[in-house]
Amino acid sequence: MAKERVLEIRDLELHYFTRKGVVRAVDKISFDLRQSETLGVVGESGCGKTTMGTALLNMPTPPGRIVGGQILLDGHDVLKLSETEVRRRVRWETISMVFQGAMNCLTPVYTIKKQMKETLRQHREMSKQEMDARMKKYLNLVGLSDDVLRRYPHELSGGMKQRVVIAMALFLEPKVVICDEPTTALDVVVQAQVINLLKDLKDELQVSFIFITHDLSIEAEVSDRIMIMYAGRIAEIGTNEQIYGPQGPAHPYTQRLLAATPRLHEEVAELAFIPGTPPDLVAPPTGCRFHPRCHVVMERCSRDDVGLREIEPDHMVACWRCFND
Amino acid sequence: MKGARFSGLRRFWDEYRQVKSGLIGIGLLVVFILIVLLEPVALPYRQANERWRDINYWQDSPRLALPVWVNWFTSKDYPRSTVISEPKREEVATGTLRVITMEVPYEFTSGHPPSDMYYKLYLTGRASIAFEFIRPDGEKVELRRSTAVDGAQILRLSAIETLQERAYALGARYEDPTVAKSRNPRMIDTMGVLFGQAAKGIFTKPAILDGTYRMKIQVALVNEQSQLNKAEFVVLGGVSGILGTDGDRRDLWCGFIAGTKWALLIGLLTSLISVVVGVVYGVAAGYFGGWIDALMNRIFEVVLSIPLLPILIVMSAVFNPSIWIIIAMMCIFFWVGPVKTVRSMALQIKEHSYIEAAKALGASHRRILFRHMVPQLIPYSFASMALAVPGAILFEASISLIGLGDPTIVSWGQVLRDAFSSGAVLQGIWWWIIPPGVAIALMGMTFAFIGFAMDTILNPKLKTR
Amino acid sequence: MTEPILVAENLTKWFPVKRTLTQITRGERTWVRAVDGVSFSINKGEIFGLVGESGCGKTTTGKLIMKLLDITDGRLYMKGEDVTHIQGAALAKHRREVQMIFQDPYSSMNPRFTVRDVLMEPLEIHKVGQNLQEREVWVREILNEVKLSPPDEFLVRHPHMLSGGQRQRAATARTLMLSPSVIVADEPVSMIDLSTRAEILSMMRQLQRELGLTYVYVTHDLSTARYFVDRLAVMYLGKIVEMGPVGVVIDRCLHPYTQALIGAVCEPKSGRVNQIKDVPIKGEIPAATNIPPGCRFHPRCLFSVPECWEEVEPTLVDVGGGHMVACRRHEDIEKRGAAARTSDASLGVRRSSFEA
Repeated sequence: MAKERVLEIRDLELHYFTRKGVVRAVDKISFDLRQSETLGVVGESGCGKTTMGTALLNMPTPPGRIVGGQILLDGHDVLKLSETEVRRRVRWETISMVFQGAMNCLTPVYTIKKQMKETLRQHREMSKQEMDARMKKYLNLVGLSDDVLRRYPHELSGGMKQRVVIAMALFLEPKVVICDEPTTALDVVVQAQVINLLKDLKDELQVSFIFITHDLSIEAEVSDRIMIMYAGRIAEIGTNEQIYGPQGPAHPYTQRLLAATPRLHEEVAELAFIPGTPPDLVAPPTGCRFHPRCHVVMERCSRDDVGLREIEPDHMVACWRCFND
Repeated sequence: MKGARFSGLRRFWDEYRQVKSGLIGIGLLVVFILIVLLEPVALPYRQANERWRDINYWQDSPRLALPVWVNWFTSKDYPRSTVISEPKREEVATGTLRVITMEVPYEFTSGHPPSDMYYKLYLTGRASIAFEFIRPDGEKVELRRSTAVDGAQILRLSAIETLQERAYALGARYEDPTVAKSRNPRMIDTMGVLFGQAAKGIFTKPAILDGTYRMKIQVALVNEQSQLNKAEFVVLGGVSGILGTDGDRRDLWCGFIAGTKWALLIGLLTSLISVVVGVVYGVAAGYFGGWIDALMNRIFEVVLSIPLLPILIVMSAVFNPSIWIIIAMMCIFFWVGPVKTVRSMALQIKEHSYIEAAKALGASHRRILFRHMVPQLIPYSFASMALAVPGAILFEASISLIGLGDPTIVSWGQVLRDAFSSGAVLQGIWWWIIPPGVAIALMGMTFAFIGFAMDTILNPKLKTR
Repeated sequence: MTEPILVAENLTKWFPVKRTLTQITRGERTWVRAVDGVSFSINKGEIFGLVGESGCGKTTTGKLIMKLLDITDGRLYMKGEDVTHIQGAALAKHRREVQMIFQDPYSSMNPRFTVRDVLMEPLEIHKVGQNLQEREVWVREILNEVKLSPPDEFLVRHPHMLSGGQRQRAATARTLMLSPSVIVADEPVSMIDLSTRAEILSMMRQLQRELGLTYVYVTHDLSTARYFVDRLAVMYLGKIVEMGPVGVVIDRCLHPYTQALIGAVCEPKSGRVNQIKDVPIKGEIPAATNIPPGCRFHPRCLFSVPECWEEVEPTLVDVGGGHMVACRRHEDIEKRGAAARTSDASLGVRRSSFEA
């Protein structure tokens, strides 16, 4: 069922220019985001998932710079737009973001109302009543009452603050919301509530989410399609069923990650682990970047660079073992 | 194990060597220490230290003379100071009256007139003196003076003081009448007129008259007991010494050399003691918290609000404070500087897990304080010390100005203060202000650079392996 | 042979709250009741898990066991001896017996220390070993135990030169320097990458078998607890609400809070959309200064009846096989399941004043 594509990323490259060398944090990433879907981006520390998130807003953290690729929004390349254009039409208007630890970034000396208003005012010309109405609408949408507006951040719990941040990411009615570890700092119960909220919002508002996390279990719960990143590259993209279903994922890295994830309702004799550490992105391994740690490595893997290829509809892998040739 | 210790030092030096700024710092420090060690030989005026405030010691120097090397850069030279001792005497005796005539030729080829010239006569008994200044163009300026001296005396006849009126008379004959009328003798540049070409403009912008000048002096010894023991003729030039002279004729190079040791001492001792005390105090307050912290804060606030100046005034009324007491006072009052910042840094460090981990291991308070917390503050301590050094030097200078300083020493700060209070800035006397200022800055820089280098070594996060 | 090595009886820790002037004049005092009467008995060689959300008191309990905090009330027994209020030499001995692995492997080691400094420190404090030689040998031995080999390569490094997993190994090595009997591990793998977690846990298991260690494993992650822990205690607002063998507590949970926790956990399986749709809990965690009367969970419980807030707080009751629950309706819940949920309609409008 081919849904309409909202966002197309083609060969995106983001490098960090440090004194030690050029860190190829995002190395030619290509994927699509479809209408009303949640795309999960999974990876461990250093895989480039957070970097990619900020790149989509054309906001790389210095000393990072986007050096190549396209971000196509309705056919227009965001990277070719000027900074003013991006600020006016793309950032927060079409693509918004819930940053990692955003709930701790609410200014402690201003009320919620003031902070939300500030963002609204930056983007829209609205009367006071319109702004109030908009703010209340979205606060209610995320399950908060109107009087949250009068409160200060320290008067709210972690879960409530996170909801406020989500409301702020939504109230300009963007098409895409990038969530970077939105539940990591929250308790289990609150986490479940926020996850449910995001699922409801997706259907209600017809918005697409990119859900970045390191937690495979949450992705299984939230995402329609999942993208696994390793060392700045995509290892595998597949649907929820393809990755988590009984046949299991295709890429060895994904397989091991799943085997390393503990289960609540199963007795697991021995959890898997992957020996070694993620590679140095200044001088990454030749060929497939995962090959030094792969348990089914072949001779070819250390030689030839491998790209994403479709092995079944909607399922792409970057692994020599998975291709028939 | 001994080998281990030396290898540790060697390793330290290897690392230190790699930080360029540290080497500059060490280099400067070595220079300063050498200056202190070589002071006895480096001082052109051997007794500069003890007799800095004795005007008689500096009599023979020009006032506000430029450094000698200025002549290398100017087209018109400034004359150097010259002393002619025991010029030739001609004695004529008539009964009990003896007349000694001395005529000193002075070859003058510089581009600027000398700043002053005078005779120093060491007399006993009664005498009468006549002075004649003969210019190359024949003009003469005369002064007859009768001096009754009794007992041994040193007579100084300064051209500026004694020949002012005559010089004015000379110049008025050549100058534009309106200009001449508008000036009075006290307002003219006496030396400029005496050495200037006899033409219009002699009062305003005299051109130099080169040639051989003659200074003739006649001493008439009235009775038998009178004696002319010694005679000296001094021409004070425009340049003197490596750094010139100040308004009190003191050689500034001496000031610089003599002041180095005090700068090092004041700077080092004060900053070291006060920063060490302040850091330990702040860390302890932050670490212990509770009532200990509250008590330490109150003590700190009290000491902070005590004004140092009235205390020093009271002290100087009781006894004359020496530089050591001043340093002690500075330490007692300067330690409060780092405390507030250090305390808040300690409060932050206290929250780190490794402090808790150390407690879990059973570490004593002393161990946690000195092995875990204080080392984190070393970079800040060095920065504090680097900033405290110039501060201490200038503080000592300020209190010297108001008369509370140690009158027996010479310090850079004092030289700088004298410069400012004499209006050196307004008069453009750059050689009085810049050298001591630069010296103080260099001293501060020395410690700052050493501090930065130490931080680079001691801060493992900057190690890249 | 299983004999209890660590026993807690009604362990309590109350923190005083700064009072306003009016409160002082009125002689009132508010307390943060972080740990409010916790009792358990841990056997030698056991891995005992303490699980709960933030603010439940699990970390504080760990610190009480470590004696990093003073015990307000109750008793703590270590190897049969009462260690509740020990000082001086006895306290130093206790420190050698009980050690801690901290959550953040970076900030739990002084960034200016080398690994060697970190490992030598406990030996220096407790004057272990006759001379430097002996200590060096011991340090190297422990480094090999935690698989940081070759030791010489790691001894000279600083914490920021190690990966997360390596740091946690070094932290574990530090705890082993004094040959403790009990190790309190506070979220030891939560800040480590997924692919390395199992490695660290497997190392910890191996050490336990080889050295006969007992672990107190504090975490909020139920799935990891299931994998690693033998027995589990679920804490809420300073009290244990359910305790027992880990499989039993998770698969046959009886306390409504445990059920809510379990219901909220995600699983890496497909077809689970809307599995956690209805977490059986309501409201928010109350402040630890204002603990609800009766059963402290009642304002959030979907099964609460008036007895729950009118009667005295329920205590842990053994329901067989070492499985203990603190809920007066546990039999009802077991038999009738979700049907045991109460609603306002069925009971009239008698609601506790503590409900949100």
